[in-house]
Amino acid sequence: MRNSNEIIDDIANKEYEFGFTTDIEMDIAPVGLNEDTIRFISAKKQEPEWLLEWRLKGFQAFKKMKFPEWQHFKMPELDLQKLSYYAAPKEKKKLNSLDEVDPELLATFEKLGISLKEQKVLAGVAVDVVFDSVSVATTYRAKLEELGIIFCSFGEAVKHHPELVKKYLGTVVPHSDNIFAALNAAVFSDGSFVYIPKGVRSPMELSTYFRINAENTGQFERTLIIADESAYVSYLEGCTAPKRDENQLHAAVVELVALDHAEIKYSTVQNWYPGDKDGNGGIFNFVTKRGICKGNSSKISWTQVETGSAITWKYPSVILQGDNSEGEFYSVAVTRNKQIADTGTKIYHLGKNTRSRIISKGISAGHSDNTYRGLVQVGPRAANARNYTQCDSLLIGDRCGAHTFPYIESRNSTATVEHEATTSKIGEDQIFYLNQRGIETEKAVALIVNGYAKEVLNQLPMEFAVEAQKLLSITLEGSVG
Amino acid sequence: MTSDKSFFDFISNGLPGPELRKDADNAILPARKLAFSRFRALGLPSVKTEEWRYTNIQRFLKDSFSLAQEEGTISAEQLKLTDIPQLDSYTAVLVNGRLQPALSKLPAEGKVTISKLSDAANNTQLQLWFDKHPHLQQQPFAALNAALFADGLFIEAGVNASLDKPLHIIHIYTTTGNAFIQPRHLMVLHKSATLEIIESSVGLNETAIAFVNSVTEIVLEENAELWHYNLQISEKNSRHIYHTSTVQKADSRYHHFNFTLPSAELTRNNLSVALTGSNTETNLHGLYLATDQQHVDNHTFVDHLVPNCNSNELYKGVLLDNSNGVFTGKIHVHQDAQKTNAFQQNNNLLMSEKASINSQPQLEIYADDVKCSHGFTVGRFSEESLFYLRSRGIGEEAAKTLLVNAFAFDITDQVHIPALQDFLSEKIRKYVSGAINN
Amino acid sequence: MLTIKNLHAEVDGKQILKGINLEIKRGEMHAIMGPNGSGKSSLSSVLAGRENYTVTEGEVIFDGKNLLDLSPEDRAREGIFLAFQYPVEIPGVSNLNFLKTALNEIRAYHNLPSIEAKEFLRLTKEKQQLVEFNANLMNRSLNEGFSGGEKKRNEVFQLAMLDPKLAILDETDSGLDIDALRIVANGVNKLRSADKAFMVITHYQRLLEYIVPDFVHVLYDGRIVKTGSKELALELEEKGYDWLKEEVHQKESV
Repeated sequence: MRNSNEIIDDIANKEYEFGFTTDIEMDIAPVGLNEDTIRFISAKKQEPEWLLEWRLKGFQAFKKMKFPEWQHFKMPELDLQKLSYYAAPKEKKKLNSLDEVDPELLATFEKLGISLKEQKVLAGVAVDVVFDSVSVATTYRAKLEELGIIFCSFGEAVKHHPELVKKYLGTVVPHSDNIFAALNAAVFSDGSFVYIPKGVRSPMELSTYFRINAENTGQFERTLIIADESAYVSYLEGCTAPKRDENQLHAAVVELVALDHAEIKYSTVQNWYPGDKDGNGGIFNFVTKRGICKGNSSKISWTQVETGSAITWKYPSVILQGDNSEGEFYSVAVTRNKQIADTGTKIYHLGKNTRSRIISKGISAGHSDNTYRGLVQVGPRAANARNYTQCDSLLIGDRCGAHTFPYIESRNSTATVEHEATTSKIGEDQIFYLNQRGIETEKAVALIVNGYAKEVLNQLPMEFAVEAQKLLSITLEGSVG
Repeated sequence: MTSDKSFFDFISNGLPGPELRKDADNAILPARKLAFSRFRALGLPSVKTEEWRYTNIQRFLKDSFSLAQEEGTISAEQLKLTDIPQLDSYTAVLVNGRLQPALSKLPAEGKVTISKLSDAANNTQLQLWFDKHPHLQQQPFAALNAALFADGLFIEAGVNASLDKPLHIIHIYTTTGNAFIQPRHLMVLHKSATLEIIESSVGLNETAIAFVNSVTEIVLEENAELWHYNLQISEKNSRHIYHTSTVQKADSRYHHFNFTLPSAELTRNNLSVALTGSNTETNLHGLYLATDQQHVDNHTFVDHLVPNCNSNELYKGVLLDNSNGVFTGKIHVHQDAQKTNAFQQNNNLLMSEKASINSQPQLEIYADDVKCSHGFTVGRFSEESLFYLRSRGIGEEAAKTLLVNAFAFDITDQVHIPALQDFLSEKIRKYVSGAINN
Repeated sequence: MLTIKNLHAEVDGKQILKGINLEIKRGEMHAIMGPNGSGKSSLSSVLAGRENYTVTEGEVIFDGKNLLDLSPEDRAREGIFLAFQYPVEIPGVSNLNFLKTALNEIRAYHNLPSIEAKEFLRLTKEKQQLVEFNANLMNRSLNEGFSGGEKKRNEVFQLAMLDPKLAILDETDSGLDIDALRIVANGVNKLRSADKAFMVITHYQRLLEYIVPDFVHVLYDGRIVKTGSKELALELEEKGYDWLKEEVHQKESV
C-alpha cells in the first residue's frame, strides 16, 4: 500500500487528470480467450447453467465474425488472445455496509469525485460503482427498494431476479449482434441492472461509474434497464481509466426496454483515457447500446458527451416499435490530438406516429478525425413517422477532419424525414469580439464551444451538465493558437 | 461472345480481354489492358459493396447479354421521336454509341471538332485524358467500359471557341437481342471555350433489353464553361449505368443538369467532378421522376482539391408507384482546399405507398476555413397547399401536377433553354397525371 | 490618455492608414468623420487589435503603455472598448454569462475578486435602465436574432457594464432609425464623465446633433486632413466631402 502523497504524485500530470492507477489486490483470469475462460468467469460468478449456455452461444457467434470494415478509420489490430477477461478486486466477501469496502477503493473514488458515502453523495443520485469489471458498491439501495426499484449489479440480479434477467437479456442486443457484442455476451463480467416497476417514477438519478484499473484487461460490462408500464428513470454513466501506453479494450453492451408509456433517459459522460498526444495508448471504446420502445407512447432518450478514448465506435440506437413512441439522441463528441470518433445513432421507425430527434455536435481539433454516422429508417407500417436530424461539425485547426455520413431509408409516403448538417470553424470575428471584451482566446473558445454544444448539454441532469461543461473546456485546452 | 448463362457469370468468369476490339492495335490498347486488369481486381459489386448497398446490380445482370455491339439502324420516323419541339440546335445522332453523320446536323468545321472517338484515336487529347479521371479508378463498370468500349463521341472546343446554338447529342439504343452496349465519350474544352450541350438517351427496344454502360469524360481547361443537360428518357427495356467525370481547372464553370424521367427500369448515375484549379464554379442539378418499378440511383461526388472553389448541388426526386430512389452525394474537402463553399441538398416527394427512397448525403471535410452544408428531406405534399388549391376549384389531379411542378421548379427554372424548359414541364405533367390516374 | 503618432497600417498588403496623429484626453469627445473607405473603421480595428491589420509605422500610447504591444483582451482590460459596427452573433452563449465572464476577466486583470452574483444583478439592472436596454434580451444568446437596433443597444449596454476609459463607437448610428438613434445617444451621453473619453466614428452629422463632440476630425485617404470644432461637422453636412478632397489634392500637387 502506498501513502497518499504517492497517489497524489500520480495525478501530477494534468493532461488527463484521472490517469492514476490504484494498487489493490486483484483476482485476474489467465490471459487468453477460449471456452475455458468463459467457464472460469461463469464459475467465479457462480452463475446458473442457462447463463453459461448463453455465454457459450455468444462465443460461438464471436468466432464466426469479422471486425467491421465500414467505419471511417482503420480498425487497429486487436489481439484478443493477449487480454485477460476477468479482473476483480479481491476480498469480495459479502459487504454489509460501505464501511467494509476496501479503503483504498473508497479513496480512489473520492479522488474521482465520486463519493460512496451516502451523506456525501451528490444530492439525490444513487451510484453503482464498477471497478474494472465488477460492481463494488451501490448506494441508496434501501431507499429505492421501498419503491420496488431494483438497482444492483448484474451479478446480483442474476442471483436474486433470474426471471427478469432471463426474460430480457439479449432481447435488444442479441448475442450475435456484432463482433464486439458477441464478445461481450461471452465474457461480460458485471454491470448494472435496473428494473422500475409499473407506475413508478424513480425519485433520483441512477448512476453507474466505471473505472478500468488493472493492466492488460478488457472491460466488458453489461447493463440492462427495464422500465415497466408508465415507469420513468433517468440513468447516468461516467467513466475514467489510468494512463497506460498500451491500448485497452472496452466492449460494453447496454440494453434498454421501455414498456407502454414508460420513459428511459440515459446519459453518458465518457472520459476514458484518450492516449497521449502522439496517439499512444488509450481506450478502444467499442460499445453497443440499444433501446427498444416496446410499448405504445414510450420514450427513450440517449444523451452522450464523448471526450475520451483513443477510438470511439458507438451508435446508441432506438427501435421505435410501439405506436406513438419517441426516440431521441443528443451527442457532443470532442476529439483532439490523434483521437478518432465514429459515432452516431440508428433510429428504426416501425410503429405508427413514431417520432425521433437527433442532435449531434462534433468538435475536432489537432490531428483527430470525428465522424457522425447515423441511420434513420422508416418502415412501411410507420405511418406519419417524423424525424428531424441536425448534425453540426466544428473544426479547430486545419489538420483535423469532420465527417457526416447519414443513411436515410424511407418506405412510407406519409413519413417526414429532415436532415441538416453544417461544417464550420470558430469564427475569428467571434474570438476577436470576445477578446475585445477582455476574454482571452482559450476562454473564448471554451465559451463558444459550450454555447455550440448547449442544446445537448441542456439534456443532462443539472449536476452533470456542469461537470460536462468543465470537461469540454479542459479537453480543448491547448487546442487553439 | 454471347453466353446463355447469366451475364453476371459470363463477365465474372469467361470474359475475353480487350484484344477482341478491332482497334486492338491502336495507341490506347495498353490503357485498355490496364483497365481490364483493374476490372478483374475490383470485381463486380454486390449490395455488400458500400457504393452499391442500395442498388442490387446483380439482379439486373441475371439475363444474358451480347457484348457484340450491333450497328443498329433507325428510320427517319424513329429519329423524330427524339425531337425536342422548338429547339434550334445542331445535332449529333449516335446509334448504339456510333456517330451517324448522315442523320446529324453538325456545325461547319471550325474551332469545335465533333467526331467519332475511334477517329480520334491518335489525338493528343485522347492520349492525355483517356481513363485518367481519378474517380473512375475505383469503379468496376468504368473499368469494364475502358477495356471493352466500342466507340463514342469526341468533342474538342479550341481556345475561345463557342457555337452559335446548342449541340443536341441524341443517343439511340436499338438492338435485336439483349445487348450490353458500352459507349465512351470525351469532351475537351480548351481555355475560355464555352459550349451548351444537351444529351438525350432514348431506347427504341420493344422486346430485347439494352444494358448501356457509358462513360463520359469531360475536361474544362482554364476559364472554360460548359452547360450540360442530360435527359434520360429511355423506354422500359433498358438498363443504364452512366458515368460522367469532369475535371475542372482554374476559373472554369460547369453546370450539370440531370433529368431522369420514366422509365428505364434501372438508371445509375455516377457523376463526379474533380476541382483541380481554384476559383471554379460547379452547379449540379438533378431531377428524378420515377414510376412503375423504376430504380433510379444518383451517386455524385464533388472533390474539392484546391482552395476557393464553389460547388452547389440540388437533387430532387418524385417517386410514384413502386419506384425506388437512391441518392448518395459526397462532398470531399481536402486539407488544402481552404475557403471552399460547398452546398448539397436532396429533397424527395414520396407519392405512393409502395415507393421508397434511400439517401446518403455525405460530408468529408479536412479543412477548417470552409462553409459546407448538406440537407435532406423526404415528405409528401403539404395537405394545406393541396386543400388551398382545391378550395379554389382546382381538381386534385391538376393540383397535384401543379405542386409537383412547383417542387421541380427550383431545377427546371435553372434551365437556360426555353424550349427545353417547356419540354420538361410537359413531360412532368404527363407522367404525374398518368401516375395519379393509374 | 491616448496618443497616436504617425500611425501607418496595412491590410492584405494594402496601405490603409498613412500617418494618423491624434491626442485624446480624459473627458473629451472626439468625432471622426470621413467618406467611405477613408480608413475610419480601420482605425478602430487597429486600436482594438484586430489581427489582419499590420502596423507598419508609428506608435500608440495609452495611459503610458504601448498599446500596440498588447493582445486584444489586454487592451480591453486596460480600458479600451470598441462598439462594433457589425456585432457578431454567438449562438448558445447567453448575454448574461458572456458579460459576467468579461467583467470578471477584467477584474482579475486588476487583481480584483470576482463580482458577487447579487452585486452583478444589481449592476445589470442599473445599467439596463440607464441605457434603456430590454431586460428580455439578457437571457438570449449573444446578439442572436437581435434586430440591428437591438445589437447596437447591446453594445452600449456592454459599454455601460464594462466601464472602460476610452470607448470607440464605430458607426454605431448606421442603420438606426431616429428613435433608436436617440436612445443610443442618450445612453452614451449618460455615460460621459470627466475621466472617460470617447471616439465616435460616423459617416453622418446626424449623430452629432445628439452626441456633441469637442473635436471633429476628418479622415481622408488614411490621414486626418482637417480638425475643427463641432461646426466643422455642420459644414461637412452642407458641403459634402468633395471640397475637402480637392483641398487635399491641391496641397499635394503644390
